[in-house]
Amino acid sequence: MNILTMMGKNLWRGYQTLLFPARPKITSRFRGRVLFDPALCTGCAVCRFRCTSRAIEFKAGKGEFTWSYNPGQCTFCGRCVEGCIEHALKEGRTEHALSQEEACPPVYLLQGELKRSYTVARRPPAPKPAAAPAVPSAGAALPNPVTGGAQ
Amino acid sequence: MTVFNPLITALARLLIFPGLLFAVPAAWFFLWVERKSVALMQERVGPPFMQPFYDFVKLLGKSTPPRSGIAGLLMRAWPLIAVSAAAGAVGLLPVLPRSGGFEGDLILLLALLELPSVCIIAAGFSSRSIFGEIGSAREAALSVSYNIVFLLAIVSIAASQHTFRLEALAALPASPLLWLGVVAILACLPAKLHINPFSLPNAEQEIYAGPMTEYAGPELAMWELSHGLEWVAGTGLVATLIAPHVSAVWLAACLFVAISFAIVLLLSALAAATARLTIDTSVRFYWQCTLIFAVLAISSALFMRFRL
Repeated sequence: MNILTMMGKNLWRGYQTLLFPARPKITSRFRGRVLFDPALCTGCAVCRFRCTSRAIEFKAGKGEFTWSYNPGQCTFCGRCVEGCIEHALKEGRTEHALSQEEACPPVYLLQGELKRSYTVARRPPAPKPAAAPAVPSAGAALPNPVTGGAQ
Repeated sequence: MTVFNPLITALARLLIFPGLLFAVPAAWFFLWVERKSVALMQERVGPPFMQPFYDFVKLLGKSTPPRSGIAGLLMRAWPLIAVSAAAGAVGLLPVLPRSGGFEGDLILLLALLELPSVCIIAAGFSSRSIFGEIGSAREAALSVSYNIVFLLAIVSIAASQHTFRLEALAALPASPLLWLGVVAILACLPAKLHINPFSLPNAEQEIYAGPMTEYAGPELAMWELSHGLEWVAGTGLVATLIAPHVSAVWLAACLFVAISFAIVLLLSALAAATARLTIDTSVRFYWQCTLIFAVLAISSALFMRFRL
């Protein structure tokens, strides 16, 4: 019955389609173009694996990597930002076709025209933490194979 | 003169009311009502009032790819047959009182109502498109499932009155048996008109346009017109069955249009509220759920027949 209630409300409220050239207002939950911070990126490429629309490309090289992002292919799902543990990716609020209330949306004629690439030098790996104190001998820790461990 | 009177009446019914002169604009109007009401229920603007007419005219002006051989001939013939059958079905509806008709015209109406569906199945296979063939196979499976219920419902109403004359059925007073049959017919109409939740023969976005995938230009315009006429015939059949018997011609015509319009709104609401079912769910729905109505209707009809 929820669907009938919803349809009734829709009929009462009237259409919500915005007629051209009106554009939707940006809300606080609006996702715009993905912003990339090369200083924070470690080149783990998790964003590339999480990107379902294949808008993010990643090429690893010697001592550097290339990160590319094509907004024309992006569906603005936000999965890349969600998965970036270094917070190198952020959700933009303005650079999006729908968000431009005054200017025209970005127009591109060739595939990949909006694509941007960043070549980032790999940072040296972080120093390993100091060696942990010696663990007790393995024989004492392991349960007796005959009697089994304590339940 | 008396010989010509039935002929003139029949021609007037076929060409003027409720035939072509009324049915074609009504078909465009019903198509618009369906699209507009579904759009409003989904918070969209929907098409402008004249859109189905513009679509038809635009398609008429387009050229179609050349098709040779018997397959091309058949592909051109199916939409014309479908339009003629649907227009004939609308022309047979006993909308006005004392509008003529003949014994057995119900059987002709049922055949004409079924012919567009048969044409769609044949058109999909004639087009040699994989999407057309899938759509046709689905249409055939759906047709087998809903037609049992549809035919049983109509036959039960007819059998209870010992007649296959449409005018006699249209003059029937409201009774539980009539309403049972009408409910069963209403349950079949979404499948007959290919709207949600039974829109799987021409499932948009899934198999392109099903049997219509390879059609373009005037042939597609004819299919659109045939679809609109099916709306008029399907809703009109229910309208003639449930409309109260009045002697004034204008009142009968207004009642027919008003009830048909209400049924279009009802079906549109159903289409907006539901999603497309798979073929096995659709067939199960008709064979398990709706068949009960039809069996109840025919058993009551038989009971009444033997009791009388």
